[in-house]
Amino acid sequence: MKPYARISLKNKIFASILAVILIISVTIALLARWILISGLTKELELRGIAVAHSIAERGGGFVLDKNYSELLSLIFEEARLRERQHMINYIYVLDRSEKVLSHTFTVPFPGPLSTANPVPEGKMNSVRLVAVGAQTSYDIAVSMNEGLYRIGTVHVGLSKEHIDKLVSKLRFMFLGFISAVIIIIFYVSHRISRYITSPISRLTNISDELSRGNFDVHLDLGEDLDWAVTNCPAYKDTNMPCWHFDEQGRKSLKSKGKTGQVCATCLFYRKREGDEVIQLADSFMSMVWSIRLYRKRLQESEMKYRSLFDSGPDPIFVVDCNTDRILDANPRAEELYEYSKGELLGVSFMVLGHDQVRECLNSLNEAQTNSGCVYYPKVLHYKKGERPFYVNMHACPLSYGGTHAMIVAVTDITEMMEKDAQLVQAAKMKTLGEMSAGIAHEINQPLNAIKMGSEYLNLLIEQNRQVTETQIRDMATEISQQVDRATDIINNLRAFGKKSGLVMERVDMNEPIRGVLSIIGRQFSIQRITIRLELGEGLPYIKGHNNRLQQVFFNLLNNARDAIQEKMENEPGMWGDILVRTYTQDGRVFASFADNGPGIADSVRNKIFEPFFTTKQTGKGMGLGLAITYGIVRDYGGIITIDSQPGQGTTFILSFPSVESHQALEHNASRVDENPAQPSEIS
Amino acid sequence: MTQDKILVIDDEKATLKMFRLFLDVYGFDIFTAESGEEGLDVFDREKPDIVLTDIKMPGMDGIEVLQQIKKRSPATEVIVITGHGDMDLAIQALNLDAADFINKPIQRQSLEQGLSRARERLKLAKSRQNEVSVSRQGRALVIEIQGSVSSHSEPYLREAYAKAQEAKVQRIVLHFDPNTSVNGAGIAILTQLVLESEKDGIEIVMAGLSENFRKVFGIVGLTRMIQIFDSLDQACA
Repeated sequence: MKPYARISLKNKIFASILAVILIISVTIALLARWILISGLTKELELRGIAVAHSIAERGGGFVLDKNYSELLSLIFEEARLRERQHMINYIYVLDRSEKVLSHTFTVPFPGPLSTANPVPEGKMNSVRLVAVGAQTSYDIAVSMNEGLYRIGTVHVGLSKEHIDKLVSKLRFMFLGFISAVIIIIFYVSHRISRYITSPISRLTNISDELSRGNFDVHLDLGEDLDWAVTNCPAYKDTNMPCWHFDEQGRKSLKSKGKTGQVCATCLFYRKREGDEVIQLADSFMSMVWSIRLYRKRLQESEMKYRSLFDSGPDPIFVVDCNTDRILDANPRAEELYEYSKGELLGVSFMVLGHDQVRECLNSLNEAQTNSGCVYYPKVLHYKKGERPFYVNMHACPLSYGGTHAMIVAVTDITEMMEKDAQLVQAAKMKTLGEMSAGIAHEINQPLNAIKMGSEYLNLLIEQNRQVTETQIRDMATEISQQVDRATDIINNLRAFGKKSGLVMERVDMNEPIRGVLSIIGRQFSIQRITIRLELGEGLPYIKGHNNRLQQVFFNLLNNARDAIQEKMENEPGMWGDILVRTYTQDGRVFASFADNGPGIADSVRNKIFEPFFTTKQTGKGMGLGLAITYGIVRDYGGIITIDSQPGQGTTFILSFPSVESHQALEHNASRVDENPAQPSEIS
Repeated sequence: MTQDKILVIDDEKATLKMFRLFLDVYGFDIFTAESGEEGLDVFDREKPDIVLTDIKMPGMDGIEVLQQIKKRSPATEVIVITGHGDMDLAIQALNLDAADFINKPIQRQSLEQGLSRARERLKLAKSRQNEVSVSRQGRALVIEIQGSVSSHSEPYLREAYAKAQEAKVQRIVLHFDPNTSVNGAGIAILTQLVLESEKDGIEIVMAGLSENFRKVFGIVGLTRMIQIFDSLDQACA
C-alpha cells in the first residue's frame, strides 16, 4: 500500500479509472469473443450439416440407381452455390462400404480422408477437424438413409480458413472498439483527475506560502476577483470586528452589550454556485482573508502592547518564575532602578527586591491554581548601589516564551510615602500645638520650682542669712531633680517631633503610652480626667515608630478628652475616666482606650475614620486625627475596632501583630484591607 | 506683732517646699495644701488672711477655691498663681474678686510685691481709711486711689469725677497707690468713666499702676483709650 500512498491524487484517480475500465473491457472482450466465436462456428457447422442433409436427401435416389454422374453434378451444384464456394472446401459421398462414389476434388481423392470421419452407428452426423493437403477443414459427415437402411455417407468439408477469417475479422473489430473506448476513457480520466487535483495542488502551494508568512502571495483561485485587502473596512479599523469571520469577536462584543459596526455585504466573503472544488476555493480564500486580517490585527495588537510596555510610566518586569531571572524590562525600569537594560536582563530579580521577591514567587506559585495576581504595598526595593526606595508591587502569572513567568508592575511610591510622612509630620506638629498648653504647664512646674529655689538662695545671700550645708544640699538636689524632670519632658517632645524614618523599628507598646502621658497626663488631671493605666508586663515588641504611635495614642486620648468634656458641659461635676490597657493575645499586642464619654452614635461610627469628618465644634478639630491614626495603624498591620455604647462611653481597641507574627502577616499583606471600618485612602 | 497667716495651695510638692522657705523669710505663719479640697479644709480651720492658690490643679481648681473662699470670707486676700502669660485666667480670677495674681515661674520681686500689697491692703481695710481722695495739681485733677477698686469704690469714683467736672479741668489723673488692686467690677467702672470722659471732653490718664495691672488693663483694652504714666509728675506735666 505504501507506494500507492505516495502516488499523487491525480495519478491515483487516473490509474484507478483506467484500471477499472481495462478490467471491464478485457472481461467483456473475452466473454464476447467466446460467445461470438463459438456461436459462429456452431452456425457454420449447422449450415454444413444442412447442406449435407440436403445432398443426402436429394442424392439418395442417385445412389440407389447408381447414377453417379447425376450425383456428381448435384454435389458440384451444392458446393459451388454462390458464397458457399468460399465456405465449402469439398463434398464427397461414400457408399455403405466406405467406397467413394463421387467427390468434388479436382485432384485425386486423398485416400485416408474417407475413413477420417466415420459416422458412428445410430448417429445422424459427426463433425471432425481433418487436414486435407495444406488445408484444414471441418469434415461434416451425415449418413444417407433409405428407409431404415443406411445407403451411404455425405461428407462436407467446411473451410477452416474461411471460418478463421470471419472470426479474426470479428475480433479485430471488437478489439478496435475496445481500444477506442480505452483511449477516450484515458483522456477523460486524465482531464477529470487534473480538474480535481489542480486546485488542490494550487491550494497546497498557497497554504505553503502562507505558512511561510508570505501573505502577499497571488491568490489565483477566483478568476475575476479584485482582491485588495485595503478595501475592507475591518482591515483599516481594528476596532471593527469582522462579523463574517469572527464568531468569537462578535460574541465578546455581544456580551458587552455592543453590536458594533457591521458590513451589509462582505467585500470578500462569497459562495459561488458550483461544485465542491469551487466552494472549497471560496472557503479557502475566506480563510486566507481572515488570517490576513487577524494577523494584521495581531501585529497591531503586539505593537500596541509593546508600546504600552515600553512607554508605561511605571517599571514593568517579566520575571522567570523558576530562575527569578529578569526576562524583559521596560525603559522606565532602567530609569528608576538606574541599571542599563543589558545589566537588568538575566539578572536575578532578587537583586532588586531582595527577600520580598521570594515571598512573592511563593505566593504566586500557591495562587497558580487560583490564577490570581498578588499585590504587595510598600515594599522595599533597591536601586543600583543598594539604595533602598519604596514601591507597590503587583505581580501576575504569565506564560512568556513557553516558560512560567510573572509580570511584575512596580509603582514608585517614594514621593507618596514622603508626602504621607509630611502629612503625618504636619499632623504631628498640629498635635504638638494642641499639646502646647499641657506642655507649657508641665515645663512651668519644674521651672517654677527652680526659679523659686534660686531666688530663695539670692534672698538669703542678700539678707546675709546663715545658710546651712543641708539647706544648700537640699536645694541643689531639688533643683537637679526639677531639671531632670524638665529634660525628660523636652526629650519626649523631641522624640515626638522627630520625623520618623522609613524603616520600622521594634517598639514596646507601653513606651509610647508612657511618653504621651508624661506630656499630657497632668493636663488631663487638671481637666478632671483620670487616666488609669493597666499596662501588661513583658509585652512582645511590635513593628512601628515610637513617635507615630505616640501620635496615635495622643489622638485617641485627645478625642476621649474632647468627648468627655462635651459630656461635662451637660453634667457639671462629673469626672472623666480613661482606662488604658495593654495586653497580648493570639500573637497580637492590644491597646485599649476606654472612656466614659458620651459614646459614638451608630450613624457616625463608620465615618469617624474618614478624613475631614469631625463631630467636634467648628474650629476645634480638622477631622484628620483619626484618619491619620487609621493610616498609621494600618501601616503597622494593625486593626482598630470600636466598641461604643451611646451614653456609656467608647472603647477603641488597637491590635498590632507582634514582631514574631509580623512575618506571617506580610504574607497576607494584600488582604489587610478587609477591615471592618472602611475609610477612604488618605495617603 | 502676730504673724499674718498665709495658706498656699499648689499641687506641686516642690513648689510648696519653696514657698515654705520663702514665706518663712518674709515672716508669715505658713500653711500648705496640695489640693483645692485640702486647701478649703485648712482655710476653715486656720482662717488665714492671705491665700495663695495655683489655678490649674487636678480636682478642685484655683478658680473654684477662690469662689469658695470669697463665699466664706470676702475680706480674705486671695492671690492666684497663673501660668506664664495666661491673662485670661488672671482676669477671670479678678472678676471673681481675686486681689492679685502672680505669674509662674514665680519671681521673688513679684512675689514680694504681691505679698506686700496684700499686707498693705489688709492694713488699709483694718484702718478703713478713705480709699479715694481728690486734689488739684497744676492743670490736672488728681484722684488718689488706694486699696482695692471694686464695686464698693464706684460712689467714691463717681464723686471724684463729678468734682473734676465742676473744676472744669482738661485732665484727670488717676493716681493708683502701688498696692492698689483692681477687680473685675473695678475695671468695668474705670472703663465706664473713661468712656464718659471722652464724651465730656476730659482726658483721663493713669499713673502709679503696678506692673500686673498695667498688663490687665492692656488686655481689657483700657490702655488703648488712655495714657498710662509711670509717675504722677509725668502724668501732670
